[in-house]
Amino acid sequence: MKIFFLILGMALVTYFGRILPVLFLGEKTNRPRVEKFLSLIPYSAMTALVFPGVLSVDKDFMAIGVVGALTALTLSWLNMSITFVVIGAILVNMLMYAM
Amino acid sequence: MEKKEQYLLGVKTALPVILGILPVAVAFAVLSEHSGLTMLETILMSTLVFAGASQIMAVSMLVAGAGILPIVLATFILNFRHVIMGTCVMNRMLATPMWKRAILCFGVTDESFAIFTTTEETNNTPYYFAGVISVTYSTWVLGTIAGCAASQFLPVLVSRSLGIALFAMFIGLVIPNVRKNIELGFLVLLTAFLNVIFNCFMPSSWAVICATLTGAFLGIFFVKEHQEEITK
Repeated sequence: MKIFFLILGMALVTYFGRILPVLFLGEKTNRPRVEKFLSLIPYSAMTALVFPGVLSVDKDFMAIGVVGALTALTLSWLNMSITFVVIGAILVNMLMYAM
Repeated sequence: MEKKEQYLLGVKTALPVILGILPVAVAFAVLSEHSGLTMLETILMSTLVFAGASQIMAVSMLVAGAGILPIVLATFILNFRHVIMGTCVMNRMLATPMWKRAILCFGVTDESFAIFTTTEETNNTPYYFAGVISVTYSTWVLGTIAGCAASQFLPVLVSRSLGIALFAMFIGLVIPNVRKNIELGFLVLLTAFLNVIFNCFMPSSWAVICATLTGAFLGIFFVKEHQEEITK
């Protein structure tokens, strides 16, 4: 039951963010700072989720997260598409576990 | 162009993205089952929430012992980027009746946003978008089901290695923008630093939220206007 409420809550807040522009588009905000704040959220959010969380992907094998993240970093710096970044990081980790 | 043609063009354009979504869907399903959710709950979450990053975060937080409220709040904050993405998408179909847009907006994700806003504006019709999200949504849900089914006999080697998928996806989404704008790089470093500090004082689920908000707030003062890929 707890999980059901969790899913419901997540679904509601996620849909809320998606329908906001449908409801309010047309009313241009005259507050560039608010818009700027919102536009920076994705970057700060994703950063906060990656670091330091990535260090404990495998709590017993810290190098997994470090090397996996560095692989993704390198591949995306080389302008690889998300697909290759994700698959590349997974493959490198697989190799590390296999060794 | 006919409505049907527009829809099919959307489907066709979105096909390559299947490769990007599928590993994440499988990774989510495997992590979710490992965190104790049943197969039904896992599939239900993919069907109703349809936001991969937040779903993986949710099951990771569950494993870490977080309660419902912090997880829902973190989901809200993480998915708040849909407001910006949805604004760009909906801005190109303002003539569409609101009830249709209220349905289509459910499909606003990183991927559908990226495809839709990088297509020629003449193709930016609700039917085209419906085609795009048909592919992304069905890939997400079917990938989750496949992941649930496979998690039983997926080699440990594979399932363990999938844990990095979400992190890799985030890195892959952030880095191209950092390359274009060095100040975003400072924002990334600052937020990472803040997160480490906040982690000393509170549970990591709350630290993520605090670091996200503080980082973006401080960013207002030093990140220059540009954000072409977000606002255009």
